[in-house]
Amino acid sequence: MNYINNDNMRTFKKLLLMMVLGAVAFSCVEDDDFAVPETAPVNVDAPENLQPMAFVVDQIEQSNDEMVTFETENVFMEGYVISSDQAGNFFEELVLQDAVENPATGIKVLIDVNPLFTTYQVGQRVYVRLDGLTAGYSNGVPVLGIQGNGSIEKIAPARQDEVFLRDDDVFDIVPTMVTTNADLTRDRLLTLVQFPNVQFATADVGRSFAAEPDDQFDGLRLLQTCDDFFAAPIRLETSTFSDFKANRLFDGSGSVTAILGRDFEDDNFVISVNSLSDFDFDSEVRCNFDVVSCGTASGPGSNTILFEDFESENFGTAEPAGWTNYIQDGSVEFTVYDSFGTNASLGRSVNIGSFRSGDASSVAWLITPQIDFDAQMGEVFSFDSSNSFSDGSTLQVLYSADWDGTEANIETATWEPLADANVVSDSEFFGNWVSSGNVSLDCLSGAGYLAFKYEGSGEEETDGTYEIDNISVTSN
Amino acid sequence: MRIINDKRILVAFFMLWASLTMAQELIKGRVIDDVTEEPIPGVIVTVVGLDFKAETDAQGYFVIEGNVPEGDQKLSIIFNGYYSKTIPIVVSLNEVVNIDPLYLVQDNSEVSQSQGIISLTENDLADDENAANNISGLLQATRDQFLRAAAFDFSATFFRPRGLNSEDGKVIINGLEMNKQFSGRPQWSNWGGLNDLQRNQVFTMGLQPADVTFGGYGGVQSIDMRASQQRPGTQISYASSNRSYQGRFMASHRSGLLESGWSYAISASRRAGDEGYFDGTLYDANSIGLSVEKKLNDSHSINFTGMYAANRRGRRTAVTQEIVDLKGAEYNPLWGFQNNQQRNSRIREIDEPILMLNHYWDVTDKFRINTNVSYQFGKIGNTRIDNGGTTLREVNGQFSFEGGARNPNPDYYQNLPSYFLRNGSDPIDFQYAYEAEQEFLRNGQLNWNALYEANRVTASQGDNALYVIQEDRIDDDQLQANILFSADITDDILFNGGINYRNLKSENYALVQDELGGNGFLDIDFFSDESAAEVQDQLNAAQSDVNNPNRIVREGDRYKYNYDINAEVYSAFAQGQFKSKYIDYYVAGNVSRTTYQRDGKYENGNFIGNSFGESEELDFTNFGVKGGATYKINGQNYIDANAAYMTRAPYIRNSFTNARQNNNTTTGLESERSYSGDLSYILRTPSLKMRLTGYYTQFLDGSDIGFYFTEDLTGLPIDDGAAFVQEAVTNIERRNVGVEMGVEYQMTPTFKLKGAAAIGQNTFTNNPDLYLTSDDFAGELRFGDGTVALEDYHVAGGPETALQLGFEYRDPEYWNVGVTANYFANGYIDVSNLRRSANFIQDYDGQVFNDYDSTVANELLRQEKFDDYLIWNAVGGKSWKIGDKYIGFFAVVNNIFDIQYKTGGFEQSRNSNFRSVRDDQNNPTEVFAPRYFFGNGATYYVNVYLRF
Repeated sequence: MNYINNDNMRTFKKLLLMMVLGAVAFSCVEDDDFAVPETAPVNVDAPENLQPMAFVVDQIEQSNDEMVTFETENVFMEGYVISSDQAGNFFEELVLQDAVENPATGIKVLIDVNPLFTTYQVGQRVYVRLDGLTAGYSNGVPVLGIQGNGSIEKIAPARQDEVFLRDDDVFDIVPTMVTTNADLTRDRLLTLVQFPNVQFATADVGRSFAAEPDDQFDGLRLLQTCDDFFAAPIRLETSTFSDFKANRLFDGSGSVTAILGRDFEDDNFVISVNSLSDFDFDSEVRCNFDVVSCGTASGPGSNTILFEDFESENFGTAEPAGWTNYIQDGSVEFTVYDSFGTNASLGRSVNIGSFRSGDASSVAWLITPQIDFDAQMGEVFSFDSSNSFSDGSTLQVLYSADWDGTEANIETATWEPLADANVVSDSEFFGNWVSSGNVSLDCLSGAGYLAFKYEGSGEEETDGTYEIDNISVTSN
Repeated sequence: MRIINDKRILVAFFMLWASLTMAQELIKGRVIDDVTEEPIPGVIVTVVGLDFKAETDAQGYFVIEGNVPEGDQKLSIIFNGYYSKTIPIVVSLNEVVNIDPLYLVQDNSEVSQSQGIISLTENDLADDENAANNISGLLQATRDQFLRAAAFDFSATFFRPRGLNSEDGKVIINGLEMNKQFSGRPQWSNWGGLNDLQRNQVFTMGLQPADVTFGGYGGVQSIDMRASQQRPGTQISYASSNRSYQGRFMASHRSGLLESGWSYAISASRRAGDEGYFDGTLYDANSIGLSVEKKLNDSHSINFTGMYAANRRGRRTAVTQEIVDLKGAEYNPLWGFQNNQQRNSRIREIDEPILMLNHYWDVTDKFRINTNVSYQFGKIGNTRIDNGGTTLREVNGQFSFEGGARNPNPDYYQNLPSYFLRNGSDPIDFQYAYEAEQEFLRNGQLNWNALYEANRVTASQGDNALYVIQEDRIDDDQLQANILFSADITDDILFNGGINYRNLKSENYALVQDELGGNGFLDIDFFSDESAAEVQDQLNAAQSDVNNPNRIVREGDRYKYNYDINAEVYSAFAQGQFKSKYIDYYVAGNVSRTTYQRDGKYENGNFIGNSFGESEELDFTNFGVKGGATYKINGQNYIDANAAYMTRAPYIRNSFTNARQNNNTTTGLESERSYSGDLSYILRTPSLKMRLTGYYTQFLDGSDIGFYFTEDLTGLPIDDGAAFVQEAVTNIERRNVGVEMGVEYQMTPTFKLKGAAAIGQNTFTNNPDLYLTSDDFAGELRFGDGTVALEDYHVAGGPETALQLGFEYRDPEYWNVGVTANYFANGYIDVSNLRRSANFIQDYDGQVFNDYDSTVANELLRQEKFDDYLIWNAVGGKSWKIGDKYIGFFAVVNNIFDIQYKTGGFEQSRNSNFRSVRDDQNNPTEVFAPRYFFGNGATYYVNVYLRF
């Protein structure tokens, strides 16, 4: 440093000192290295004025206009979160049920906040302050929100912290086990249910959850329980805004855990999942039903074994020679009729329907004469079917090798579904007739009976009518 | 007193002098600072009214040679930063007039004021895109009254002299260009706080010739940081302000040329504040600068300059009128409290040290060669909240990405009252709007705790973070070298020239800067289109890098995008300046070759095959010519004219439409061509100075790239017309035309009246081409004939009209005060280009809307003109001499009456067609209303300094 004289050096040192002092004095910007703030919920005692969720739902029932606004101050309702908007299938709504296990009721809270899963985890206990909130039915399910013009609307985001008191307890919700659509009842609405053994309907496999061109708002897909070949399908509803909307439906079978709801028009039960993880499917294995299946044939055979088009039958009870017409439950039976216009019959045909029957249950049979499958080769079965608003009811096509031909033993005989017979679907236009296809019976041996069995849903106002005709068995 | 003891230099000096001239030397002397008693180099000494002048050398000596007429004369001594002096002398052939010492008094208002303006440039101008475009930063060294008004009083409104942007001017430090290749704009923050080492500046106005570069329309600011050129002394200052930083501490020491031939200068500063005029805008900057020079011998000198200015700023954002009405113009939605401290989510950090080596070689006293090399490295980082955090769900071989959250900013449109009133007026809508308003008034700041809680919850479930802080990084490595020549071919001809090379490697990527307590971040694009038919395509589309799919990134990891830009520029210029009795003139030309290439490091899932690896190499060859002349009608009246034609390579930011995702270059990209002319009348009498200039500049083939989210694009499916788009506009033609005037009248030696006026029009002169690209649709989307009807719209950016009237009073007792009134008008909003394309009138299928009404449309598309306003500013200062030390202060109050005004704004392009714009404007409050930047209210700036 020979080029800096002492004078300079002194100045330089002074300067350095001042710089250091200055730097210390002005180091005041505090924005670096922020510590992670403590945000976890704390344990809260249950509020004093705590009402069960059932109380809230009951209030709706009891009110005149099916809508009730809570005016009392500091009234709370306890609930356990069962919905998650993490995957976008729920949006600005929080579904709560009243218990961790065996819930008695559930309710949906509408709030204009997104995302919610980051604050309310599935299984978390929350207390909802009812003050000023309105409860009522919306699209068939009980909801809690604020009163709009004859409707229930979302709670404003500003009130989130006032309405929800969050406990730090997060429980494992135990879903209620259900097996078929018939297990879906109104008292299970907005609770978590689990179907242990289901598969997607064959027609839906390969499609996406909710990204098909005709999916508007929601995609509706059908699940089938493995426990009952003829059980009405379970409706899975998925939002077109969900993160898995474009995923393909699984091709195997297994369990699904979902929240039970109603569709938009309040016509049917639907289930909705929180996440793709709610499916636990085995990708290889489809449902293993006890069915009769010989596959399909390329066409009918040249030799007619049985043919019935009811043209020579009288109107009324359908009972051609050798056939059995049997009412197991209720009052409706297979009947010969004719009809013209948009819902025309095929000349004379047979129909059955329990709509407006007034019966608690409707089950009826139409059974063919006995057929000996050892007498010839290459038997092919076919028929035509049509329906008229058959929604809740089903038409089953069955085969029995052990029925003795007596009405008394119909119900106790072994009837197996003819898996390859195509029965008209609910969504078909009511005027159309649908062919069953050429159902091969070639693999059967010995003698047996074919049967059509009509089953109402138990709620006859949702049942409908099936029409059948041109029942044929041929062989080579 | 420390003066030069080495008599040898003195002797050598006189011998040299004697050998060079046979002319008489009748007047000589030495100029000394009256406080420090240090010699002052570079002072111009002229004989008033005559053509004799001299400049002081490094030791402060001057000699005026030539046949100065005998008798009473006046000597004028002028130097930047000092009070000018005029002294009477009697010239006699018999006796040499020797004035030694000749004391000059420092004009500290000048020094301090320039500190004030530097603080303006580094604060406000670097703040946002709109402001970074301001040229005023260049003007701080000017002596032109109009440009001084522009720099000190007009710049806060983002007034642009002649409608020019900062890329139209050049900033040169030690002979090297500092304008960035990305945008063409100087990055003021790179040398902010080093004011004390940047006192030696020359500003060359407009097209006039600068010695170190060809320049541009906006002039050249040439800063000389050579150690030997720094005035010796020590200075400490403290400034307080409420504009951007709250406090600034600055210290410097300059050695001057030491006996050993060494000189050095060092400066350090700290500028800091928790918030400026706008809420939550923290400021944290430390700067250090060092220059060391060794004079090897009389003809060679080597200098090293190093600058390191680390700067962190909390940003603000443009807001709608609705927000301002609720929260005031100071409101800034970008911050919130975390653990009771303000935290801003958008921090800009600039950390780009510059190292320079300079060699000065006086080959002869008439021919000089200056060689410079610089290396700049470091980073620019901009943070923001990334709310697209997801978790990969794999179930039976199927994948889905769950998560993603809504924009958490409190000013998100769905949080504002207008959103709830947009379609209906049920009582419940009013209730929602009221509650939203109350909530926004009550809270209205970012809720950091909610973000942390979300990440805590997802982590507790084993899921990834939902929110992280994303930092967009630009890490530049730039090497620059040049050689500059300067030759006095004759006394009346000066030749300058130079060749220049720049090589830039710019790494661009996003970084996870803070996981906000979360558990890693899944690097996929949550907003990617999930509807592809094939599952594999969906998975790919979401990937930022299909070569490394579904990566979980942690703090410090790169993600989202990652690419390099390589740029190279070779250029050369030559310039001749000629002087004659009645006319001085110059001609100059330059030529350059520029190449850009993108080199992708990620294979983006939306652009497989066009993302990873090198892009096409863009190659531009450019040239420019300019010339001008000053006609001296007499000693007091001048006519000055300049003209130029030039072409300019497009900047990097306009060359690649979507550099974050792919290698696409802008279709229709051309070098921008321009031509310009100006004509001035200049009057200089001892008491009255005036300049009146008319100018005209036409730009052709310009280009511009923008990014935004929009809805209802025509040509896309009816329910799928929304997309995040890149907008490329090319073939832009615009014209800046106007007059400017500056006048100052020295009424008494202490009292000066001054005025300035600018009246201009900056307009588009054609309908440029426009297309959109996006990862939501394929190819380039054009509308109608592919143009955007911009003709006759005003180019946005500050008021077009600016007027000033003011006075300055300088008391002989070293205090001064000044007041100006400044009037601004004709500022215009930045219009949405998309709304001026055919998309505006077309339904999704390309048909004109059946309810289209051109009268209504004209009303909807009319360009908003901002209200005019009047701003009063005051300055004042005083200094004291205490012993051999000097103490002073300087204070500025801007916008005394706290007038609220818009400095700029832009229409949002989210609503892009007739129906959506009309319906939104018919709402009680427009939801996607224009966003504005507001100017500072009343602010102060006080600087106290000590010098010894």
